[in-house]
Amino acid sequence: MPDTPAPAWARTALRIRWPLFVALVCLLPFALSDVWVQMLVFVGLFIVLGLGLNVVVGFAGLLDLGYVAFFAAGAYTMGLLTSPGSPIDSGLNFWLILPLGVLIASGVGLLLGLPVLPLRGDYLAIVTLGFGEIIRLFLINRDDLTRGSQGLSAIPRPELFGYRIDSFTAWFYFVIAAAVLVGFCTARLRDSRIGRAWEAIREDEDVAAAMGVNTTKYKLLAFATGAAIGGLGGVIYASFIGFISPAAFSLQVSIDVLAIVIIGGMGSTPGVILGSLILIGIPRILQFRETGDFLARLEWLRDGLNGLIGAVDAAAPGSIGRLPPAETWGAQLADDTRFIIFGALLVMVMVLRPSGLWPSTRRRLEFAHEESAPPAPVTAA
Amino acid sequence: MSLALTLSVSFWSDQFVNGLTTGSLYALIALGYTMVYGVLKMINFAHGEVFMLGSFAGYGALVAMGGNDLSGPVIALAILGAIIVAMAASVSASVVIERLAYRPLRNAPRLAPLISAIGVSIFLQYLVLEQTSARAKFYPDIFPRGSVAAGPFEITYIQLFLIASSVAMMAVLYAIIQRTRLGRAIRAVAENPTNASLMGVDVNRTIVFVFILGAAMAGVAGVLYGLFFQTIRGSMGFIPGIKAFTAAVLGGIGSIPGAMAGGYALGLAETVGRELLNELPGINLGNQWRDVIAFTLLVAILIFRPTGIFAQRSTTRA
Repeated sequence: MPDTPAPAWARTALRIRWPLFVALVCLLPFALSDVWVQMLVFVGLFIVLGLGLNVVVGFAGLLDLGYVAFFAAGAYTMGLLTSPGSPIDSGLNFWLILPLGVLIASGVGLLLGLPVLPLRGDYLAIVTLGFGEIIRLFLINRDDLTRGSQGLSAIPRPELFGYRIDSFTAWFYFVIAAAVLVGFCTARLRDSRIGRAWEAIREDEDVAAAMGVNTTKYKLLAFATGAAIGGLGGVIYASFIGFISPAAFSLQVSIDVLAIVIIGGMGSTPGVILGSLILIGIPRILQFRETGDFLARLEWLRDGLNGLIGAVDAAAPGSIGRLPPAETWGAQLADDTRFIIFGALLVMVMVLRPSGLWPSTRRRLEFAHEESAPPAPVTAA
Repeated sequence: MSLALTLSVSFWSDQFVNGLTTGSLYALIALGYTMVYGVLKMINFAHGEVFMLGSFAGYGALVAMGGNDLSGPVIALAILGAIIVAMAASVSASVVIERLAYRPLRNAPRLAPLISAIGVSIFLQYLVLEQTSARAKFYPDIFPRGSVAAGPFEITYIQLFLIASSVAMMAVLYAIIQRTRLGRAIRAVAENPTNASLMGVDVNRTIVFVFILGAAMAGVAGVLYGLFFQTIRGSMGFIPGIKAFTAAVLGGIGSIPGAMAGGYALGLAETVGRELLNELPGINLGNQWRDVIAFTLLVAILIFRPTGIFAQRSTTRA
């Protein structure tokens, strides 16, 4: 497609867009209160996880519904080796356990990857789902090792150059550093020979194999890479929260991370960031007191709506309840309705915008290709 | 291994009957998975929730008809009514789901309908959880108590009812598939949708009927589950759903007799199989391991024999 060359300033902006974005993000703690920074730590953690699953699902096209297994592997490595309640508490340093947790998680990834190699599509999804559940049930039932549902507590926090990573702000920078590292590595992988092999497998495994791609090797590599990143997320999570129990490693985590990848746009790094902000950030923001204070100004709307309800109710008395105070709306939405919206969102994105909210450029062209419309102008992705 | 089992005959026959009971439920639900997979090559992830909706509808119907106050022969009518209401609810939910969440994605990449199905499943599960304030509901305890003995087996009335009505439902379904025009259309679409449509089969309509039949079975299973286990809740669909899927895979997904056989095989594996494992030295698996057994079985079958243990002809791997 003959494009007019972009002006020089636009090209420069395009080149430095990521450093610029990260620099801006790093300024955030100066402007925000603690609860907001805490929320962003979670968003950042899920960006890390999303980027990891993105390798498996987005790059290599392997639908993994048991991603939580690797997250749990990392978290339990950390927990078992450092929690005073654990039978194998070693008191090892965080920075030694971090690579160990990543290693163990990628080992678990290979362990899962090897037997499922011949499976494709939805069979793969179900096996990985089963695998994730087995890990969770194992954590509950082997309580001699993991203390079962009681969990492992008092997991110590890391120190860096004599400085304890303790405050939310410190954790924020730590998680951002992890996300940048992971984002950089996965982007480089995507653009490498390995990334092209993954893409070939994603598009058509048989054709890829026929063209000389060693599908076994590259599929295993995708699993191991994704698992390693999941393990990293787990180590960070365990250390940040300080307490882990099997309840935190349910299928819900796998689905959350998958939804981040899907809703954001498979294979797209900005998509993962956007997805994490929407799915992890917004439900937390809705519960903030500030949000409640803000919503309290909508009391007039509540009165109006309750008036309307009253009018309807007069016709069929007692059929409908009144709306609760406006300031509680956000919290109620986040608590009860979050998953309902979440489920509906998954369906809607699939039906209306199957390439996600912020698809990778190539994916967007792929999806646009089906209609004969000219491809959308290429923008930053 | 010596066959000198440490436990009594009645213990084993109890385990066997329990296995048949849960196996019947798995088989009924598995039919929905296997039929949809047969025609669409898609895992209907929301099927467990269709089962759950049926169970709640049946509960609502029973309570509306008098709940625990029911007595005498009216109970039979009430249960029949509850089953019909449950079937209607499951069927309508399933038809709406197919229309809104699956049909628009018929030609999309394979992951799309699966993710959409996961979305529907989450949506329905939490919708019901919210409506019930995440509390469990309890089916009216109206089913007559007592049991019949047949040789070493002692079967309670409710178990007998559950097994018998499942078998009856499956017989009806099997007759529909094998003997009617609609059944022939379903088999044709499962074989090859394009060719079927060339032969004048309305593919879309046939697919809707597949969803209807599967949902009807799930609705019945929902009421039977409620009558037997009494406690129902919004999240109840997940585990039976995944186990029924295991059963469908066990019997060779896409095969209707396979789903029935797979259901019973899984039910027995969880009860008799687990106790047999416990007979081995050094193994003691409590009841909480039964889900692990089912999941392990699922993973093992998918890996080693993805066409199912009863598969006759080889089908392409997923």
